[in-house]
Amino acid sequence: MLRRVPLHVWLLTPALAFVAAMALFPLGYSLLLSFRSWKLAQQDTPGQWLGLDNYWNLLSDDTEFLDSVWATLVFVSADVAVTLLLALAAALLLQRETRMNSLARVLLILPFVMSPALIGVSFRFFLNPEFGVGHHLVGWIFPAMADKVWLADTTLAMVAVIAADVWHWAPYMTLVVLGGLASIPKETQEAARIDGASEWVVLRDVTLPQLKPVLGVVLILKTVFALKAFDTIFTLSNGGPGTSTQTLAYFVYQTAFNYYDMGYAAAAAYLLTAALVVCAFFYLRLLFRK
Amino acid sequence: MQASSTVAQSSIPGYRTPLQERVLQALRQALVLAGISSIVLPILWMMLTAFKLPRDVYSLDSALVFTPTLENLVTIFQHPWNLGSKALNSVLVASGTVLLAVPMATLAAYAFSRLEFRFKKALFLTVIASQFIPGAVVVLPYFLMFKELGMLDTRSALVLINLSIVLPYAVWMIKGFIDAVPIEMEESAMVDGAQRWRVLWEIVVPVALPGIITAAVFSFTLTWNEFLFALILGKQDALTLPLGLIGFRTERGDLWELMAAGGLLITAPMFLLSLLVHRQFIGSLTAGAVR
Repeated sequence: MLRRVPLHVWLLTPALAFVAAMALFPLGYSLLLSFRSWKLAQQDTPGQWLGLDNYWNLLSDDTEFLDSVWATLVFVSADVAVTLLLALAAALLLQRETRMNSLARVLLILPFVMSPALIGVSFRFFLNPEFGVGHHLVGWIFPAMADKVWLADTTLAMVAVIAADVWHWAPYMTLVVLGGLASIPKETQEAARIDGASEWVVLRDVTLPQLKPVLGVVLILKTVFALKAFDTIFTLSNGGPGTSTQTLAYFVYQTAFNYYDMGYAAAAAYLLTAALVVCAFFYLRLLFRK
Repeated sequence: MQASSTVAQSSIPGYRTPLQERVLQALRQALVLAGISSIVLPILWMMLTAFKLPRDVYSLDSALVFTPTLENLVTIFQHPWNLGSKALNSVLVASGTVLLAVPMATLAAYAFSRLEFRFKKALFLTVIASQFIPGAVVVLPYFLMFKELGMLDTRSALVLINLSIVLPYAVWMIKGFIDAVPIEMEESAMVDGAQRWRVLWEIVVPVALPGIITAAVFSFTLTWNEFLFALILGKQDALTLPLGLIGFRTERGDLWELMAAGGLLITAPMFLLSLLVHRQFIGSLTAGAVR
């Protein structure tokens, strides 16, 4: 009897059953929850069926939610753009084989393996107006900034949160781009140089077009991780001041675990998922087209 | 003659005089140095702070010159911080996750790499896509599920959750390494009459071992640093190190020197691990994007 079960079933069942139980089941459960009312503080089991009311309320008149959508857009677009440009510039700079560059390449892994919660805490420390080194350094370079309290200013708090996330991710993304650069055949660049193209033209017309798939992966992956970002925001700004750095992921956490409004939180979480599904689609297409 | 050749050279686009070249080189080095500093200095700053007395933490005059102390590293293990028990939780949760994830992922990766079966692509896509599920969406069902099971604030619950986070990555990474194992090695063993299981265990696993170790280190790192689920499921018994950090935010304000000492405790093992498998690590962490 057992002999007739094909090998791949034995091999796949543990992992796939687990992924189904721990990823797909909660995903479905959450969806059902998003159509119901459930204030955990008042009732132990999910309450009445609301249909699309949770979604409707979120999108029509919840300013806190709409603010968090805006905060997410600002956070994600700035975070992704800065990370991508920094990673590209750093990779181009580091691709030459020098001793300092190989040291730099080793160091690039360090921010990535650091706890994002710790990174948030550390940035909080650096930006402290009294004894934070970062605060004083910025104030020294731009005297106009010397009196600003970073985490009390809505714009600067957002800048701080983005900076912390960029610090965490840009080095790793640099490694990814470096990997992409290494896989480009050197001959194409040499040929262009022999034809008299300047370095800038080589970069624009030869290197970048070949690097496109890798940059696409960086773009999408970073967007996904920016949409999911929570730890750094929690430990750095706590979503504040006010709700200025409260992104969607943080809003869901607040709604569920501070206001105990489970159905409403699930609906908000699903709107976030919608954004991620779009990213996932493009990512998988990019990955499997080759 | 000389003059004309200089003219000819400098009219070639992209040609730079030695002086220009040297200036450019210096500029590049300066930029690399700036990049290195922006990575290293914050880390160094945190590490220095861990060895400072409070009075040195709260004064910029003693930023670099101060009398080092080990007091903070002792204090964090004492009541009420008890980072010792949190470190133990972190070690147990991360090792438990890795010990379960690696065999499961290796089996699945082998099937995806070597066998042909129906729905292979769809199943693989599902596994890969599950890493896109935001924690914010599944955290509610997890919370309710583990509440129902009476497993809130337990290490087992954290192991299960982290397992679901790292499995897709591990399957993907290990598959990449198995793909690179020459299939001839397996074929010749099979000709000799070896069973698939034995081929997997005696040939594929040893050859792909560096990759499997890399996937294990990666999974360990993700679990070690995991914050959101530990925050929501943990109360007092199953708190992990990253949560220990927010404990240093007290009514008296943030206790930076203790946070830094705790930060050192979280970070040092990860730095050692990642530098240990550095070459492999970078190769496989970036391969997915490049391949």
